[in-house]
Amino acid sequence: MGTLDIADKIAHKIDNLPTLPTIVTALMNTIGDEDHNLRDVVKIVSSDTSLTANILRIANSAAFSRQSDVDSLEKAIVRLGEKLIIGIAIGTSSSVVFDDELEGYQATAGTLWDHSLRTAIASRELAAFAKKKDYLELAFTAGLLHDIGKSVISEYLRGKASLMTKLYDKGLVEDFLEAEREILGTDHSEVGFSIAKVWNIPEPIQVAIRYHHSPSDASEEYRLLVFCVHMGDLITQISGGEGEGADSFLYNLDQSYIDFFGLNRTAFDRIILNVEEEFHAVKQSIEQCGGGTNEP
Amino acid sequence: MSVLYVGVGEYAASKTPGEVIKTLGLGSCVAVVLLAPRHRAVGMVHVALPDSSINLKRAEERPGTFADTGIPILIGEFKRMGIVNPRDFIVKLAGGASIMDRNNVFNIGKRNVLAVRKILWKYRLGAIAESVGDTISRSVALDVNTGRVKIWSPGRGEWEL
Repeated sequence: MGTLDIADKIAHKIDNLPTLPTIVTALMNTIGDEDHNLRDVVKIVSSDTSLTANILRIANSAAFSRQSDVDSLEKAIVRLGEKLIIGIAIGTSSSVVFDDELEGYQATAGTLWDHSLRTAIASRELAAFAKKKDYLELAFTAGLLHDIGKSVISEYLRGKASLMTKLYDKGLVEDFLEAEREILGTDHSEVGFSIAKVWNIPEPIQVAIRYHHSPSDASEEYRLLVFCVHMGDLITQISGGEGEGADSFLYNLDQSYIDFFGLNRTAFDRIILNVEEEFHAVKQSIEQCGGGTNEP
Repeated sequence: MSVLYVGVGEYAASKTPGEVIKTLGLGSCVAVVLLAPRHRAVGMVHVALPDSSINLKRAEERPGTFADTGIPILIGEFKRMGIVNPRDFIVKLAGGASIMDRNNVFNIGKRNVLAVRKILWKYRLGAIAESVGDTISRSVALDVNTGRVKIWSPGRGEWEL
């Protein structure tokens, strides 16, 4: 099968993907708007009874419940944080693409969701160390969606993981992204960008998906956000956990991060700890609501 | 065969025939494997970070997280099984993959391996075999019956340490 045939198949698959629930895009647009307030978020969430119930349940779960129970949606959203609300909306909706096994990456079912959730948390943690604050409210969501392209191209990379790691080990490609392009004529960041456009995801997140492996190529306006996702993705690969894929560690760090972030070793090590801790709490809570992964 | 899974910051030791201790996706973390062949005992700790001083509460809750608290806790497990003589121990290391960073922040794998070696040295222990560094995220299985340490990595197959 030539790369042209594959390009057609990938394009066809993107057009036929299940759409992102409207409520998720509405939440992204609202939370990304600097002038929004809590009432705007409550209004959107309360239009979906099952999401409202899940958010109340998670806010009162062992991982997040402090002294008192929360009984109102407002209090639940304040307790969990607006960004996590998007994570819950995506994690508990069955129509999105995170649960599939990624055979092309030798990653079992559920790995993409785990990786995405960790990256979301890491991206949000990194945002606190950025020297400016442009669009950083979207760091969590952009982290959650950065690898959606993998769910589409994985099947065309089936059986190729060993070849691709060999290409990297021999220095024939610069990173796994280039190995994907060698085989498919495209890569998961380009395909993810196309999906994000079809899904009508806010532009800053589209750009983060497109350039998460080459943040310096992103437009200046969104570059800081893209760097958060770029570094959050690498932190997630670095800290490992149950089953990263064959591409783990096979991407390069954009060394100019140091110009945008006040990050030292201690802060970095603390981020690794925080991500590990929060990931388990959030994952467990979402699974209790029947969402998230279908891990074996 | 029963499998004991060791997550990030966890540890396990066993001399029960038929048991296997496994840890998955080490990334920059280091699996410190301790073998006591004379006693047919094996153990492993999955170390994530070099130094517990960054979060003492976490070190108390999950000592295996850090090199300086994880190695003592693993050695303590062997003591509980009556194995105290350092000469009985064989050490093997796996993990510590790193991403190149000129600013020396993201190279946590390298820092982990150095910290583990330093703490082992305090106990007069050194690894006889290592599969550390590079850009390879490893998983490890340790068999009580044979004392063999198997490593595997997506896209790279498996091998014995």
